[in-house]
Amino acid sequence: MHPAIDQAVSQAGQIILGKERQIRLAFACLLARGHLLIEDIPGVGKTTLAHVLAQILGLGFQRIQFTSDLLPADVLGVSVYDRESACFKFHPGPIFAQLILADEVNRATPKTQSALLEAMEEHQVTIEGETRPLPEPFFVIATQNPMHQIGTFPLPESQLDRFLMRIDLGYPDARSERALLQGSDRRRMISQLKPCMEGEQLAALQENVRTVHVSAALLDYLQALLEFTRVSPLYDCGLSPRAGLALLHSAQAWALMEGRDYAMPEDLQVVLPGVVGHRLRFAHGETGAESSSPARRLLDAVAIP
Amino acid sequence: MRYRFAMFTLRLDNNTWLLAAMALAIAPHTPRLPIWISLLCLAVGAMRLIEVRLPARWLLITLAAATAAGIYASYHTLLGRDAGVALLVAMLTLKLLESRTLRDSMVAIFISYFLVITHFLYSQTIPTGLYLLLVVLIITATLIGINHPGRQIEPRKQLRLAAVLLGQAVPVMLVLFLFFPRVPGPLWGMPTDAYEGMTGLSDSMAPGSISKLSQSGAVAFRVAFDGSPPKPEQRYWRGPVLDFFDGRSWSATAAPDPKPADITVTGDPVSYTLTLEPHNKRWLLALDLPAKLPPASRLGPHYELLADQPVRQRLRYRAVSYPNYRAGLYPGATELNRSLRLPALGNLKTREMAGAWKRAAKDDGEIVQRALELFRNEAFFYSLTPPLLGINSVDEFLFDTRRGFCEHYAGSFVFLMRAAGVPARVVTGYQGGETNPFGNYLIVRQSDAHAWAEVWLKDRGWVRVDPTAAVAPRRIESGLAAALPAGEPLPLLARMDNAWLMQLRMSWDTLNNDWNQWVLGYGQERQYDLLSRLGFEMASWKELAVSLTAGVGALLLAFSGFMLWRRVPVGADPASVIYQRFCRKLARAGIVRLPNEGPADFAQRTAMLRPDLALSSTSISELYIALRYAPHPNASDLRQFGKRVRAFQSQLPD
Amino acid sequence: MMFRLINRPVWRRVFNRIDVEHGPITLDRQRIFILPTRHGLMFAMVLLLMLVGSINYALSLGFVLTFLLGGMALVSILHTYRNLAQLRISAGKTMPVFAGQQASFTLCLNSSSTTERYAVGVMLEKQHPQFIDVPARETMTATLALDAPQRGILRLGRFTLFTRFPLGLFRAWSVLDLDMACIVYPQPDTARLPQLAGVQGLGDRAITAEGSDDFRGMRPYHLGDSLRHVAWKALAQGRGMLAKQFSGQALPELWLNWDDLAGMTTEARLSRLCCWVLDAQNTGLSYGLRIPGSTLAPGNSEVHQRTCLEALALFGIAPHKNAHPTN
Repeated sequence: MHPAIDQAVSQAGQIILGKERQIRLAFACLLARGHLLIEDIPGVGKTTLAHVLAQILGLGFQRIQFTSDLLPADVLGVSVYDRESACFKFHPGPIFAQLILADEVNRATPKTQSALLEAMEEHQVTIEGETRPLPEPFFVIATQNPMHQIGTFPLPESQLDRFLMRIDLGYPDARSERALLQGSDRRRMISQLKPCMEGEQLAALQENVRTVHVSAALLDYLQALLEFTRVSPLYDCGLSPRAGLALLHSAQAWALMEGRDYAMPEDLQVVLPGVVGHRLRFAHGETGAESSSPARRLLDAVAIP
Repeated sequence: MRYRFAMFTLRLDNNTWLLAAMALAIAPHTPRLPIWISLLCLAVGAMRLIEVRLPARWLLITLAAATAAGIYASYHTLLGRDAGVALLVAMLTLKLLESRTLRDSMVAIFISYFLVITHFLYSQTIPTGLYLLLVVLIITATLIGINHPGRQIEPRKQLRLAAVLLGQAVPVMLVLFLFFPRVPGPLWGMPTDAYEGMTGLSDSMAPGSISKLSQSGAVAFRVAFDGSPPKPEQRYWRGPVLDFFDGRSWSATAAPDPKPADITVTGDPVSYTLTLEPHNKRWLLALDLPAKLPPASRLGPHYELLADQPVRQRLRYRAVSYPNYRAGLYPGATELNRSLRLPALGNLKTREMAGAWKRAAKDDGEIVQRALELFRNEAFFYSLTPPLLGINSVDEFLFDTRRGFCEHYAGSFVFLMRAAGVPARVVTGYQGGETNPFGNYLIVRQSDAHAWAEVWLKDRGWVRVDPTAAVAPRRIESGLAAALPAGEPLPLLARMDNAWLMQLRMSWDTLNNDWNQWVLGYGQERQYDLLSRLGFEMASWKELAVSLTAGVGALLLAFSGFMLWRRVPVGADPASVIYQRFCRKLARAGIVRLPNEGPADFAQRTAMLRPDLALSSTSISELYIALRYAPHPNASDLRQFGKRVRAFQSQLPD
Repeated sequence: MMFRLINRPVWRRVFNRIDVEHGPITLDRQRIFILPTRHGLMFAMVLLLMLVGSINYALSLGFVLTFLLGGMALVSILHTYRNLAQLRISAGKTMPVFAGQQASFTLCLNSSSTTERYAVGVMLEKQHPQFIDVPARETMTATLALDAPQRGILRLGRFTLFTRFPLGLFRAWSVLDLDMACIVYPQPDTARLPQLAGVQGLGDRAITAEGSDDFRGMRPYHLGDSLRHVAWKALAQGRGMLAKQFSGQALPELWLNWDDLAGMTTEARLSRLCCWVLDAQNTGLSYGLRIPGSTLAPGNSEVHQRTCLEALALFGIAPHKNAHPTN
């Protein structure tokens, strides 16, 4: 395990109890320069996770609470006429931060959602013809409430694809919950957290992810996985090449976190549910949904070459 | 309909293949076919090549009928070998004109295969065999092509697959060839034209007939001696004996007395195995004089060996001869009379000279000597190209031209003897032969054809006299090439001046001999021989059938094992192959790796299930991971990995 | 050829014991049958002729050729068998079709071994086969087309996989049933959506009439954006594909009701609703569907359209997928 990441993960684990896998996936997502979608009911620690990550990594943090009356300008920023200088002055929106928590992103209108997602994709914002770069690193954690609620706009599939991973947190197990109930206030704990890595260090790690060796044998496996989703009648439609890249980068990030300079099938298998969970859908009539997830079925069906 | 199009229509490429295969199959027949059939083939081939619209069915039927009529006009029959082949070629060609469907193409292929076998009616030499093997390969490749609907396969793959199929068929072919019961003789009457064009001695001899034969380098027969071969001057191979002279040519009279006169033999016998090329006549060649006869043969009235049937296939037989013999001490009167007969008229000068000799001589032996001295002392020349002779051929030869080949000397000698009252006759056959040092046998060619004389002397019986030996002694000792003066045209093969060429020629002949002996000559006799050597005494059809089926079945089983056994895939990662072996070892201990289980996960599970194996399996998995997934795997790691897996024991120590 | 035999009662009994299977099928010994073709029998006759000729004329090379060709025919049995053996067949994706169209069923043929397979034919009974080559260690797809006359679920049923390669003298085959099914939507009839009937050029005018004053700006065009939102003027000016953004683009919700079509037969109603769904989707309207037994909330997306069409296709048909619909 990479020492700096190890430290970061263990620190986060002290606050968010019993969720080591999710914390690690979130880190992997960050290292692979992707964005994270957390889908779960309120109150399981989505916001806390985002806070902790920002604090530990020493990143500039902004939280945007999405509501149905939130307009794109509220996210991106607006130009306001300044009388003194007699010209328009740009007031950057909350998106100009290193780590954004887009809370309950499905509450906003599709327009606002797409404004955020475009910024995520391009790492820059274009307002009134002027292009403004977003800070580096730029990492969005969006949360979404999966329960069907009146007045929400679930992210369309094309938008979901922009997120590298989607994870759910789930309820803590009994032991963790007991510890949580007995422990001190989480907010105070977060504010006391010390950053364990600097900006450049994080950038260097992100750079390292791309140099993690991927052997031909592993690519064979990855391609077999992709191929299966494309030809099998199990799935509605197959994984895109972008999904393939997402899988690859996530596996590389996971391998780096494990302290290896090469990726192996287990890395792919660990990140796969997170990466394909929001991209793969069972075809109509496939009744496997109750017993198993599309990702699980995929892993079970494809042999490691 | 779309599929039908893709499936059945002959594509250009298959078309080209088919045309090429058929052209190759037909080509060797063309010199034997009427020219108009060859032209028809060319025309139809060209039509297919430029893809003209195929003619309607009625036109085809008309065309076929016209072709059949044409063949009948050319051969005056539709049956028989030559007409049959012509018909087959024409049929195949016309089939091309209606090759629309897969079925038509298949029929064309089958006819092509059949056409290949018809070539063997004319020639079964090694070059023919090799050429036709190539043709079969091409036809098979074509067959593969037309059974691959849709996209054309690469020609290279097509040919390779055809070669593989034929190669795998070879063992099956060998078993069948060796053990399929051979039945001697034809199953039904053969067409009369089946054996045309065989060369060999004739049953008559006119001036020029043997010298013409001498131009041929074709092999007459080959002899393997059990011991050392006899000396060149003893190598007289007796053929037809000619005792009737009509003033121009010598021929054999039908003998009323089939029994040969008495023979007494002295000295050592010579045993040999002779392989005679077919010549469509009944005589067999034997060294003077045969004592032990091959089966299905008898000795004729003039000690010539006669087979019961004309020799139409290469015939292999054993015989024993005695070079020292005394034959016909007490001949019948008719036999002697026949050996004194001359035409009533002609050749007066010769008769006069012979009469003078008779009057002067004390006995018949002296007359023989006088005649030989004449040839030896006067200016007689040995030549392959003698001048033409007129009506009184003996007179002209003896007194004017004095240039001649063996038939001139033998013929005029016998004439002289008969005119002088000495019973004499012409013997034709072969003299000499070449020793093949590689095969340790003697090759006798048509160019070794010879004619000599036999005279009957009181108390000595029939005695061989070779007047040619008096003129050109080297002919007898060293063969034709040595005897002929320089500048005489010679068959190429008879020239012996080039040692290198000679060696090549001899090796080639050895190969041909083996081919004849073991491939072409493999018949009932050889088969019984082989079977008894394999332990089948007096093999019955039943036993043969059982051994055949068993042999072919075993071969196919071996092939299927070889082809269908799951082999290690070519090009597979060696590390992966070794890892599979490791997994199989663990599977035997009940720890089965799931197809989607990564190596590290599997090692972990193994360690949990079998703590005693934790160390070894973990280290093996680490090596495997390093080899398969880490950058720059090295060869020493692979060796180490292989060694560890070999040493790995999954069984619990007892 | 031999396939015809299968249609005869005796063979039918033998081969009818084919089970419906779900997963990928690997062709093994139990599944592959092999018999000589008509051409194979013809070839045997030719060989017999050649053999008789060889015996009669005592042609040693004739024997050689005859036995060589006979051996080749025998060996070709193995090659033909191997051309199918260990081939893995799995079901591919099937796309829904409308009744009256042809449904395409995709089969995936995977050759896991190192042998390349040539001319593997796939066919439905009484149809012309499709031939494909499967290179070593690769997966190829074959498509079987089947007419879809009625809405509901169309089952592919039994199909044959066969090969005559390499020599066409033998035919190896295997009859399979992979339990493949395709959803057949009702055939849409030609009646327009009544709310839109009479409105010419549905597209832009229908939309602009709704929220013309709420134009909010432009953003780069993304795949999936409606073409009606493209700022064609901007494109013409060379500013690239931009999409117009509207606020308050709250189109009226449209309900497609089963009950509105009283007096029509069930199938006619379904056809009409199917046509309406397609129309509504095309105009970009947000539409919902009400049919007995299910109500689908308004929406406008590919997924929504598919859900609606599926509901129409499967109306009145037991939901579990193995059920045989009307046929």
